[in-house]
Amino acid sequence: MYGKGLRSLSISTIAVMTAALALVFFYAPLEAEQGFLQKIFYVHVPLAIVALCGFVAGGIMAIQHLRTRDPSWDMRSYVAIHMSLIFGVGTLITGSIWAKGSWGHWWVWDEPTLVSFLIVFLLYATYQPLRFAIEDPERQARYASVFAITAGAFVPLNFIAVRLSTAYVHPRVLGGTSNLPGPMALTFVVSLIGIALLYVTLCKYELTAKHARAQLRALRRRLTADDAATPPVRRSRSAAPTTLHPAAMMTARVTGKEGL
Amino acid sequence: MGVALADLPALPLHEAGKYVAAAYVVLFALVLIYVAIMAIRLSRIERELGELLELSENTVASAPPDRELAGQGSTPL
Repeated sequence: MYGKGLRSLSISTIAVMTAALALVFFYAPLEAEQGFLQKIFYVHVPLAIVALCGFVAGGIMAIQHLRTRDPSWDMRSYVAIHMSLIFGVGTLITGSIWAKGSWGHWWVWDEPTLVSFLIVFLLYATYQPLRFAIEDPERQARYASVFAITAGAFVPLNFIAVRLSTAYVHPRVLGGTSNLPGPMALTFVVSLIGIALLYVTLCKYELTAKHARAQLRALRRRLTADDAATPPVRRSRSAAPTTLHPAAMMTARVTGKEGL
Repeated sequence: MGVALADLPALPLHEAGKYVAAAYVVLFALVLIYVAIMAIRLSRIERELGELLELSENTVASAPPDRELAGQGSTPL
């Protein structure tokens, strides 16, 4: 179910990422002030934008979960936040490298954009400990959704606050691609699409893997239940548990007919 | 191929080159680590599938004949 379209998505991700790298190194002109170092911009900024959008998307999926009580939305929200955290790590590391090359320091505490991103990242770093501290699965999903919505709302507010308050030291990107020369803007947009596609592809991989594991667990439960000492008539094929996932039901049907 | 490469602009890999390379290596490493984790998960799923296959084969082998008959009489899934 989750694996549908994964192959074409993976191929398009590889194609766009390759195109983006080619544009970065062989098409985009060197920036006058920073020179070659500015090439980090094409990986750092898309990573940051995609990570922040992923946090917000996780919040929106959490709203869907609370509205519908469908656990698949909770799973999507969890995966979106999990992947955004990984992209957030990438943003922080590439940002530090850029800062070192550009300003001579790995981290600058009086730069509001850097510090605000770190605050958002640390906020979301508490998501998983909070989630897995709760044992009851239903409560866990509900509390995680509330957290994801609250933190998701904090992300744009934080972004706007920083924009309104700061000195213009950090390069402005969102809404500012028109300031970039044409080849640079094109390269940036292709890089952004490539990183966004990478995010979606990895999320889909994660969801597919989790779904496959859930199906396996359901199948194992069914097989071990079948193995228990139940009367032969009750162990017939019609006694399949109704709570089994449709895909697991399909697997079970194959098992019944052909013994896998 | 060599001529085409010679026509490409030379990359100024002097002072800034190491920082740019490091930044792109970070992205590559993140993806690579993720792929490695997915490979471990895939092998675990494969192992579990093997166990389930074994379990189902044992179940079928140890099933008494009347159970098979009861199974045939029920509604197919």
